[in-house]
Amino acid sequence: MSDSSRTIVYAYFSAALLLFGLQIVFGFLSLAKYLGPDPLLYIANFATTKAVHTNVLLVWVLTGFMGAAYYIVPEESRTEIHSPTLAYLQLGLWLAIGVATVGLYLFGVTEGRKLLEMPTPLKYGVVVVMLIFLYNLFMTLRKGERFTTTEGVLIGGLASAALLFIPALIHFDNYTLDRFYRWWVVHLWVEGVWELIMGGILAFLLIRISGADREVMEKWLYVIVGLTFLSGILGTGHHYYWIGVPAYWLWVGGFFSALEPLAFLFMAAFAYTLMRRSGLSHPNVMALHWTLGATVFSAIGAGILGFAHTWPGVNKWTHGTHITTMHGHMAFFGAYAMINLAIISYARPMLFGITDQAAQTRTSVWAFWLMVGGMFGMTMALAAAGIVQTYLERILGFGYLETQAKIQVHYLMWLATSLLFSLGVGAYLVDFLWMGSARSRARPAMAEAG
Amino acid sequence: MLTKTSARVFFFGGTLLFTLVFIGLTVHAHITLAERTNDAAIDDSVRRGLRVWGEYNCENCHTLLGEGAYYAPDLTQIVDQRGAGYLAAFLRDPSQFYSEEGDGRLMPTLGLDDEQITDVIAFLDWVGNIDTNGWPPRPILVSGSATATYPAVPGEPQASSPAERGRALFNGIGACASCHAVTSDIRLIGPGLGGVATRASERIADAAYRGNAKTAEEYLRESLLEPDAFLVPDGNFATPAGQSFMPKQLDERLSDEQIDDLVAYLLTLE
Repeated sequence: MSDSSRTIVYAYFSAALLLFGLQIVFGFLSLAKYLGPDPLLYIANFATTKAVHTNVLLVWVLTGFMGAAYYIVPEESRTEIHSPTLAYLQLGLWLAIGVATVGLYLFGVTEGRKLLEMPTPLKYGVVVVMLIFLYNLFMTLRKGERFTTTEGVLIGGLASAALLFIPALIHFDNYTLDRFYRWWVVHLWVEGVWELIMGGILAFLLIRISGADREVMEKWLYVIVGLTFLSGILGTGHHYYWIGVPAYWLWVGGFFSALEPLAFLFMAAFAYTLMRRSGLSHPNVMALHWTLGATVFSAIGAGILGFAHTWPGVNKWTHGTHITTMHGHMAFFGAYAMINLAIISYARPMLFGITDQAAQTRTSVWAFWLMVGGMFGMTMALAAAGIVQTYLERILGFGYLETQAKIQVHYLMWLATSLLFSLGVGAYLVDFLWMGSARSRARPAMAEAG
Repeated sequence: MLTKTSARVFFFGGTLLFTLVFIGLTVHAHITLAERTNDAAIDDSVRRGLRVWGEYNCENCHTLLGEGAYYAPDLTQIVDQRGAGYLAAFLRDPSQFYSEEGDGRLMPTLGLDDEQITDVIAFLDWVGNIDTNGWPPRPILVSGSATATYPAVPGEPQASSPAERGRALFNGIGACASCHAVTSDIRLIGPGLGGVATRASERIADAAYRGNAKTAEEYLRESLLEPDAFLVPDGNFATPAGQSFMPKQLDERLSDEQIDDLVAYLLTLE
């Protein structure tokens, strides 16, 4: 990979990680408000800080995906990025839209559809960014030597994600319809086409790390993404149970969403089998940690914890409680944050020109275990909060406010465990942005000395 | 053994098949929409109300139909539970009705004008009438509690005495407990109802009483069905124009027998 392509990937990954840090800041602001009272009530209320927390999540994960694509596609096709200028233009525009969005939220300008709150003109900006991105990838592919299934699945996921953004541009007067099509974006992203992106990155990493046979790997990749769509498309119905559509959606959504864990469990089982065969021998230990971690955490967070409350008979009691917060945190972290951190960790030596793949810093090891441990703890705290809330508020009939007062202790546990988590995020940021760049600055000097 | 080609066929074939089924079901959802959501009732006020709901970012604190954020109560049935009068007064200044010290959090005063308030309430009222396949299975209350008696749910055997049925209704689907405590010293949104049967007799004998009831039973029935007939003094229970916060048209939500049961229950609160 040329220096020019390498710098582009570095720029995307650095931006993604900085935004990850910003997401955590707004996560803390939101969490503090659960413990009350809120001195920022009239400066940045919960709705604002929470919208920033979730939107920055989407932006950084997508920034990471873009960086991953600019890394993987040239590698797979044995070529260089078609236009570095377009890649930088895309990143600049994308970050400008991100900054404008957050700025507008802080001034109370929003459209208020959860996760799609961005004002419409900025959404058209996102469309432009996606078009630049896909054009640049397409042109890179054209001049490449080969086209692999792995990059095909990755690009297929990115292109479908862009296509599925279209319903977000349409407004409906009927709230039921508004919800119906909002899930075309949100569900079909995170429980559909984003899994293709994850699958593509995972396949790339597993082929590189375990040395798995490409033909075998890509065959199973088809099976995994096939299972994703088999369950995920009609699984959209689990968001439709109570929004005003016919009752048969309870059966359709219940049955197919119950199958959704299969794709994640398959990914985990497959990664495990490959690693067993190759014997964890790759020297980039942290890439190995994050790759395996992503498959395990997504299987538990997205797969099993999603399954736990997807059946209509359960969901009618848990719908709209912290059970969803529990599942959401671990699922998003496991599937989409961790796969990003995996590819960033794998690319790290290449990005900084470190030839010794085994050279890991102690900070990066701490980063992994603090994040994983912290997220596990947060999930447990939220599970307790969600179960108590469901039982007191939904089953026994306590008022919302009384119930909230009774689960304050779980919020304290949430706070403690998220502190651990954010220490891990901080360690990762320091390791990548500071230590990494210090290393790369030191490199020419070392070369001279050597 | 599975080949790469058959795996590819499985992926593309399966995706195509399920996409087509999904589109078919989407078409059917559109066909049933008008009836299930009472689409014809969407007037300009409801449309504007949906925009207010969005522009003020309501669903990043509240849930509606259970969707949104979990920092504030679900509002699916709020208009039925609290009534438009109370909600309007609440939206003008939520801090009049509860405190950050007491409850740990507070809704900010959003600075909505009267039209926006009317519109967003009209929107919430319209949402409350969507056919949600029976969700929520029991009312979700903002405050108060229904734990004194286990709430009755549809399908459970009914108690035999009217007062027992009334008590279940009060704490259950009637959602009275979300505003009224059954002790006299706890004031939620409406007056505490401990000893209300005794007070009813005293009230009708009082010179300040303006209603038409002659007996305690008639007084309680009047309070349920015509809450504006007499406003309980020394409480923030009504608009300045004398409109009680108590939801109107209770007789449309509840059957005559259910009203009788409620009155029978209230008469036991001596």
